[in-house]
Amino acid sequence: MKFFNKILFFYYREYKLNISGFQDILTNIIFFFVSIFIFIFSVGPNKETISVIGVAIVWTLLLLSSTLSLKKFYQDDFENGNLLIIHLNGFSYGFIAILKTFSHFLFVQIPFLLSIPIACILLNIESDKLMYLLVSFGIGSLTLSCLGSISSSMNLMNQRNFLLGSVIVMIFSVPIIIFSVGIINMEENFNSLINILFGILLIVFAINPWASGLCLKLSLENN
Amino acid sequence: MIIVKDLSVDRLDKKIFEKVNLSLTSGNITILKGKNGSGKTTLLKAILNIIEPSFGSIYWKGKLLKKNLYDFYNHVTYISDKTSSLKKLTLKDNINIWKRFFCSNINNSQIETALKTLKLENYLNQKVGTLSLGETKKLEFLRLIIENKSVWILDEPLSNLDESSIELMKQTFEDHCAQEGSIIFSSHQNPGIYVTEEVNL
Repeated sequence: MKFFNKILFFYYREYKLNISGFQDILTNIIFFFVSIFIFIFSVGPNKETISVIGVAIVWTLLLLSSTLSLKKFYQDDFENGNLLIIHLNGFSYGFIAILKTFSHFLFVQIPFLLSIPIACILLNIESDKLMYLLVSFGIGSLTLSCLGSISSSMNLMNQRNFLLGSVIVMIFSVPIIIFSVGIINMEENFNSLINILFGILLIVFAINPWASGLCLKLSLENN
Repeated sequence: MIIVKDLSVDRLDKKIFEKVNLSLTSGNITILKGKNGSGKTTLLKAILNIIEPSFGSIYWKGKLLKKNLYDFYNHVTYISDKTSSLKKLTLKDNINIWKRFFCSNINNSQIETALKTLKLENYLNQKVGTLSLGETKKLEFLRLIIENKSVWILDEPLSNLDESSIELMKQTFEDHCAQEGSIIFSSHQNPGIYVTEEVNL
């Protein structure tokens, strides 16, 4: 029971931190919408063209926007020693990685999930495709959070080059983009593509605590 | 409680320290002394099992620390030389987070007393980022009271503190030891605290 309370209050702490840094989340969402406008202006006023490439634009911008927040994934807690305190409070490194991944999903990815319907209106995406987009983003964003956890924990050991972590996330997110955009354009294959997306999520979710945990351990050891 | 036997730590082929021995039983205070870069923080981190020693072993309650790690963590509070309080949040928020996260049994009146003793009671609604270094350091010590654990491991606890705060810390150390607690702390100066063991690095 005590352990579950600790988990609960870990998220209370994350909630308080994210609320106090709400402007960061807001900046990410503003970046997302400003980028959509730039795409609309650059493609031109042709509704059909925008509608065809709309889903691909949404997914690409969601990926770019979520990589913006990766720097803060572990960095603050690492620098102020909180990562160590959380570990000394009985959480293994791997478990910290799982908790932080869900925290990133809840406080960074979910606001994007809520802004997708507005993006669909702007990009003239049909309302029946919205549901597919939300489902694919629900699964894909958790996968992106897992990849973000791995790359951010690697970044702790390589403080000089933050972009390297973002590049890793972008390379490994190529399959997610392919299958997520594929779901919307090939609705008849919805179940099989969702299963593939879910499979990718399970693989990355299984690797995440091992890889991130090891990187956290090594970075604290060498700090 | 804690026995450190022939502990050596190497990092990047450089010997940080070698064959360090110490033992800490309840009611005792051990001080780690040495110049800057002599390995005081490294030794504290090795005791906490954060850094892998190249040689030697650490025991907790008679068992190898690694085999008894989470029991050790249940009894230890570590205060590093960094500010672990969340700077964006107020003192009150930080205290609430710690109280809940560490499942503390300390009640509000005890915390109020501690805040008054540390002269922090007027800053409750102020963000930690706006406090001075000394005040932030004192706030870190509040975690010792909130966590209420028997072993305190402190890295340079007296730096950035004024004389009255150092006196207060001495008193707190004595009170903790009187309650069968034990303390390991590092310092590069002579703090004037009665210690049971001195380890020079």
